[in-house]
Amino acid sequence: MVNVMKGVLVECDPAMKQFLLHLDETLALGRKFILQDLDETHLFISSDIVETLQARVDDLMDQLSIPVHDKGL
Amino acid sequence: MGPPKKIKKYDSKPGASGKKKKIEEEITIDLVDDDNTENVGVPVAATQDAEKNDQVPEDEFGAKDYRNQMTLKPDNASRPLWVAPNGHIFLEAFSPVYKHAHDFLIAIAEPVCRPQHIHEYKLTAYSLYAAVSVGLQTGDIIEYLQRLSKCSVPAGIIEFIQLCTLSYGKVKLVLKHNRYLVESKHVEVLQKLLKDPVIQQCRLRRDGENELMSSALPNKPAGVTSKPGEEKPITNGAVPEDISQFYQQLDKDDEEDETTDITANTAVAFEVDPDKIEVIQKRCIELEHPLLAEYDFRNDSVNPDINIDLKPTAVLRPYQEKSLRKMFGNGRARSGVIVLPCGAGKSLVGVTAVCTVRKRALVLCNSGVSVEQWKQQFKCWSTADDSMICRFTSEAKDKPMGAGILITTYNMITHGQRRSWEAEQTMKWLQAQEWGLVVLDEVHTIPAKMFRRVLTIVHSHAKLGLTATLLREDDKIADLNFLIGPKLYEANWLELQAAGYIARVQCAEVWCPMTPEFYREYLIQKINKKMLLYVMNPSKFRACQFLVRYHEKRGDKTIVFSDNVFALRHYAVKMNKPYIYGPTSQSERIQILQNFKFNPKVNTIFVSKVADTSFDLPEANVLIQISSHGGSRRQEAQRLGRILRAKKGALAEEYNAFFYTLVSQDTLEMAYSRKRQRFLVNQGYSYKVITELKGMDQEPELFYGTREEQGMLLQQVLAASESECEEEREAGGAAGAGGARRGAPSLASLAGADDALYLEHRRQHNKHPLFKNDTNSENGVPEWAIVELQGLIQMKKDSTLGPTVIGDLHYFNRNKHPVLVLGHHILNGKEVKLEQPMAVMEKINNEGKIEYKVKAIVKKKLLFKSRPKPIISNVSEKV
Repeated sequence: MVNVMKGVLVECDPAMKQFLLHLDETLALGRKFILQDLDETHLFISSDIVETLQARVDDLMDQLSIPVHDKGL
Repeated sequence: MGPPKKIKKYDSKPGASGKKKKIEEEITIDLVDDDNTENVGVPVAATQDAEKNDQVPEDEFGAKDYRNQMTLKPDNASRPLWVAPNGHIFLEAFSPVYKHAHDFLIAIAEPVCRPQHIHEYKLTAYSLYAAVSVGLQTGDIIEYLQRLSKCSVPAGIIEFIQLCTLSYGKVKLVLKHNRYLVESKHVEVLQKLLKDPVIQQCRLRRDGENELMSSALPNKPAGVTSKPGEEKPITNGAVPEDISQFYQQLDKDDEEDETTDITANTAVAFEVDPDKIEVIQKRCIELEHPLLAEYDFRNDSVNPDINIDLKPTAVLRPYQEKSLRKMFGNGRARSGVIVLPCGAGKSLVGVTAVCTVRKRALVLCNSGVSVEQWKQQFKCWSTADDSMICRFTSEAKDKPMGAGILITTYNMITHGQRRSWEAEQTMKWLQAQEWGLVVLDEVHTIPAKMFRRVLTIVHSHAKLGLTATLLREDDKIADLNFLIGPKLYEANWLELQAAGYIARVQCAEVWCPMTPEFYREYLIQKINKKMLLYVMNPSKFRACQFLVRYHEKRGDKTIVFSDNVFALRHYAVKMNKPYIYGPTSQSERIQILQNFKFNPKVNTIFVSKVADTSFDLPEANVLIQISSHGGSRRQEAQRLGRILRAKKGALAEEYNAFFYTLVSQDTLEMAYSRKRQRFLVNQGYSYKVITELKGMDQEPELFYGTREEQGMLLQQVLAASESECEEEREAGGAAGAGGARRGAPSLASLAGADDALYLEHRRQHNKHPLFKNDTNSENGVPEWAIVELQGLIQMKKDSTLGPTVIGDLHYFNRNKHPVLVLGHHILNGKEVKLEQPMAVMEKINNEGKIEYKVKAIVKKKLLFKSRPKPIISNVSEKV
């Protein structure tokens, strides 16, 4: 039987791929979403998760950068 | 501004908006060691904040609309200031009257941010207090502010200034002819004070004299050795008449203060009981009239003058001059803090102050190394010789009697344990003295609590605090204002840089991508391991190695900083460079530093945070930072200071010093790095972000190029124990196996404060018999020996003294001379026969029957009663 799944090809740098793998393994988004681990920089993921995933990556980036207008005084 | 992360999605959907998430700030808290309850000694008015008067809501961009509170003046173009109702003042640095306005603002307000064109200042209760104490009057402040402002000064601000300044600075505590006088130019204030019952009790009456004494202020000019050529305010056509007039008038006021007109400046005073100074000071603060301490050193006849002068070769730079003029403005010494960037010659300011006062002086700094450096500075700039300068540290104790200048560390003064007899004597002497001036180096590092202790021990007339960064992550800095005195002067970094007094530094942040393996571990590990992982990131190592090589080829001197000791050692050993960290002994440090200075083959050294402050390395011009203490802004500034000293003959280049921070991409380090940079950004520095080091690919033989090597490194990192992951918290503390732990761990974390490796409390006669195997055996029963040490062995981990290896015992059979090696220290001992032999028994519970078995007998002990000595490894051979 042929199983057809709709997916999205994601290209990212090697470190970010690890982040995605991490999310996948820890079921951080509720379920596994990586359909195929292609190579160093490419992943094939299910298309319905993309939006949540984007939010998640944005979160990560926000954590790493403080707001510009915050002077911290 | 996230890092450019390549996530291309071939199915393009509109990106979901990211949720803002607060960054966890667990490591950013720097030195919280004061009790919060300690608010004594800070007047109520000081808790006022102009910010709170501000009712205007922020719009979505964080901006505020003040248009209805501020009306623009018609000639606003020629005026340089915007005064906002929330106490913030914005100054146009390109305005023709910039110079006038700048001098004025620096006196009355706290600089917030000073980039190239627009400077931001903030009025605070403390800054106004400082303004009053250097002689500005409420009316002058308001009037000048109004003249400089482009728009009307908001009523709230005027109120705020009045509130904060009216009560301050009216009363002074003066020591004259060795009588403590409370002096004021305002009779009504004194009368008000005298009505208070507490103060009445403190008052000292002589021969029934009941009237207030009138005392003339000294009529000698300030004489900070040489008076500068009075800077003429450049009268520019664009300067509105009233501004320049007023500026000249203010200048004249200053002068007046110095060349006193006796009739106008007569002040009234009453004498107080010297024993009740504390009481009266506290009471005056409660009455909202904090006493300003001034020392009339010229008229002090009881304390002998010390014979010290500046050498003619010592030339003060204009800003040093200026800062000292604030201190000795009216011929007396005011207490306060002077803020100058590192490398801008703080020590010279200190030395000059001592030479001006010419009374016994005490210099307090925070490490043994800087004690030596201060001594050098004194010998270099002044006529003081060895006999006049007394060092008092754990290693060097000169004879204090007859010395005019005592240099010591904060820890030596305050530590509470028992001291050696010698040190005890010095302490007694120190306490008995009346010091003319106390110079407090790196004053930002001392917590208020410790400072109070110093104050109770040391009796001094004037206090001068020196620092580069009046800044702490735990806002305790405000307390210092009231404990030492107001901030007298703060230099503008960029202006000093432009004038060539400090090096021109290119700051760069180098982004090193995490390797996939490391990032994978980073995601799953705990916070401590995470830190180690991003520090040990192979790309970072390669970047570091590349930069080190690059600058060695250029002939630069490079310092590499790492807070993490594991990383420090690993990097240094792998690259075969010398390194200094907490446990490194004093003599070894000096040896390494000497080599770094003079040996052309030693161009790179690795240091931990011990070198953050007070390591004077004028040769260094490149700094690479591989790991740091969370988001500490102060550390960043202090580290930059290591390379700030002006470089000779390198003016042709655009930049003559380089400051690299290596940051692992996509990790917490990025956030910390941003946070750390803010102080320097506020001083006007800009950071260049380097995402790729050019030429790194071509560079041969960089370590950790292959997957296998990286894998090995990862294994090592993962195998590192918890304690190794941590930053060097216990500086100077238990290193290797069992060393002496510092008395006050909270202070030990202060950078550079870890010189006192062998504290006096080792002298305590705490016997700690540890039983150790000896090879001899008699009748099948082994013979053991007791190892007796003085002091306490504290293990790094809180484990019981079970079967742990604490060090190596060597035994020379020839002369029965035992040698114990603990970590980096060596102890020489001797063998002593026990008066009573002892047996070691083992209790065996043999099915209800209890038996005792002789495990060993002990006939002798190995007595180590001398202090541990550092092991000096031969550095010069290695490098």
